[in-house]
Amino acid sequence: MKPNPNDRAPLKGPRLGVEIAGVHFKNPVMTASGTFGYGLEFARYMDLNAIGGIVVKGLSMKPIPGNPPPRVYETASGMLNAIGWQNIGAAEFVEEKLPGLRDYDTNVIVNIVGFELEEYLEVARFLNDHPGIHALELNISCPNVGKGGFHFNKDPRDTHRITAEVRKASPRLPLWVKLSPNVTDIREFARAAEEAGADALSVINTLVGMAIDVRSRRPRLRFRTGGLSGPAIKPVALRMVWETCQAVRIPVIGIGGISTTEDALEFLIAGARAVQVGTANFYEPAASERIALGLAEYCRSHRIDDIHEIIGSLKDYE
Amino acid sequence: MLDKKVKIKAVRDLGAGNHLIVIASPEQARLVRPGQFVMLKCVENTGENPLLRRPFTIFNIHRNARSGKPAGVELLVKEVGVGTRRLVSARPGQTLDCLGPQGHGFQLPSDLPSRVTTACLVAGGVGIAPLLLLAESLLALRVKPILFYGGGTVADLVLREPFERLGIDIITSTEDGSHGERGLVTEPLAQFLRIHPRKDIRLYACGPWGMMRAVHELAVGHDLQCEVSLEARMGCGLGACLGCVVASPAAEGRPYLRVCQDGPVMNSRLVRWDIEPV
Repeated sequence: MKPNPNDRAPLKGPRLGVEIAGVHFKNPVMTASGTFGYGLEFARYMDLNAIGGIVVKGLSMKPIPGNPPPRVYETASGMLNAIGWQNIGAAEFVEEKLPGLRDYDTNVIVNIVGFELEEYLEVARFLNDHPGIHALELNISCPNVGKGGFHFNKDPRDTHRITAEVRKASPRLPLWVKLSPNVTDIREFARAAEEAGADALSVINTLVGMAIDVRSRRPRLRFRTGGLSGPAIKPVALRMVWETCQAVRIPVIGIGGISTTEDALEFLIAGARAVQVGTANFYEPAASERIALGLAEYCRSHRIDDIHEIIGSLKDYE
Repeated sequence: MLDKKVKIKAVRDLGAGNHLIVIASPEQARLVRPGQFVMLKCVENTGENPLLRRPFTIFNIHRNARSGKPAGVELLVKEVGVGTRRLVSARPGQTLDCLGPQGHGFQLPSDLPSRVTTACLVAGGVGIAPLLLLAESLLALRVKPILFYGGGTVADLVLREPFERLGIDIITSTEDGSHGERGLVTEPLAQFLRIHPRKDIRLYACGPWGMMRAVHELAVGHDLQCEVSLEARMGCGLGACLGCVVASPAAEGRPYLRVCQDGPVMNSRLVRWDIEPV
C-alpha cells in the first residue's frame, strides 16, 4: 500500500497524539488532580492549549471544607499535604469553572471524590450529562480524609465494587481509576478495576508520610499524616506504573514526581500511555507546557515520528 | 501575576539573621500594591531543592536612582530554615524564579465608607515588612500613621530608618528593654487606644500569630476595624493547592480562606484565632 502523504507530514513534526478510551489527546501530558486547581488559575502563566488534558481538583457533589491547617510541609525532594478534599462542589464547578475551561483546546478530566459510595454515584451521575467533560477519574486513593475514598483501596473487592457502580452511574464518560501506592501489590487493585469496567488507570496517588517539628514535638501537619508527592516518589511511582502495565490491557497514566521531559519519557518507556505532572506545577506553573514541548523536541532530535515508538519500549538486558 | 526570571541586585545583612534582598524586576515592581507578596525560588535552578518557592512580602519598591521609576522590589528575609538560608547566601547577579506580585493587599481608607484619620500600624519583628508601603499610601491620603514596633531585643527592630524618614510617630518596645518600652508591643498600643477613645482609628498588624491575635482582640474591644497580614506555608502561591489556608468563622460554607489569594491581608474578624495555621 502506498503511504498516504498526509499521514507523514514531516514539516508538522512528530505525532504526539494518544488515545485513551476513545478520547484523543493532542499529546500525552496532563496535569494531576489537586495540583492544578480548576485549571484557569494557571492560564496567565502558561498556554493551556499546549497540553493534552487537565485533571481538575477532586470534586464531590456538595462542597467539602477540607482539613484545618497546617496542611502542607516541604520535605526532601517533595512535600506532604493533607488538604482533605476541599472543593467547591460539582454544581459550582459546572456553573463557574467549566465554561471557562471549554474555551481552551484541551481535554478536561474530572477527578471525583466521596465519603460514601452513594456520594460517588451522585457526582458521577451529575457529571455524566455535562458537555465539555472528557473523562472521570475515580479517586479512591486519597490518604487525607478520615473515612471514605481511601477505604475502597484497601481491598480489591471494594475497588471492583465501586468501579462497577460508578461505571453504571456515568455510562457516557470514560472512567479512569486512580490507584493508591499504599498497598502490598498494586496489580491486584489494577486487575480488579479493569475487570469492573475501568477504561484506564491513573497510577499513582501520594504515599502516606509524616514529618515532626522536634521543637514542639508536634506533627508538621494537623492531620498528622499526609500524602508525599514530588520527585522523591518518582522511582516508586515508576516501578508501580511498570508493574501495572504488565498486569492489565487498559491504558495506564503515569503519575508521581514528574518534573522534567526525561521523567515523562521514563514513564512512557515503562508503558504509560500518558503522564500527569503534579507537584512541579506548584514551583513551576508552566512545567506541564515545558514538558509537552520537551517531548516534541526529544522526538524531533531523535528522529522519532510517533510517540508510540516510545510508549512501552523498555528494553531488557541481554 | 507574572512569573519572571529575575536577578538579585543586592543582599544587605541587617543583623540577627535578617537581610534586605533587592530584586531587579521593573515589570513586577510597577504592579505592586501595599501588602502584596512574591513567591521566590531560593536557589538558581527551578528543579533544585528546596523545591517550593517561598512567599515574601514586598517591603519597598526599588527605584532607579536617576529616573525614579520602579526598577525592582525589596524583600525583608529572616533566616528561619533551609530555603531562607540558601536565599540570603545568594550573590548579586544570581537569577531566581519570581512569581508576583500576588495576593490581596491592604484596604486603604480611600476604599472605605467610614472616615479614618489615624492608622495604628503594629509590627512584631519582620512583621514590619508590609507596613512601609502602607505608611506611604496612608500619608498620601492624609491619614496619620503611627508605628508601634516591637521585638524581643533591639536587633529585631530592623529597617526603622525608612519610617523615620517619613517623619511619622514611632513607638518601639522590646521584651528585654534594650530599646523603647520594656514589654510587648501591644502594651503601648492598648495604652494609646485607652487615651484616644475615637472611632476614626484603624489598625493594621503584622507579626507573630499571638501578637496579631492580641491586636485583633484590642480592635474588637474598642470596636475598631483591624487588618492583619498573615503568614502561612504555601505550596503554589497562586490559589491552586489550597495548602495555605486559615480557618475563618465568617465565611459561610467557606470555613477556610487561602492566605495567598483571599489574603495575605484580611480583616481580623475573618480569622479564627484559635487555629494557628503554621
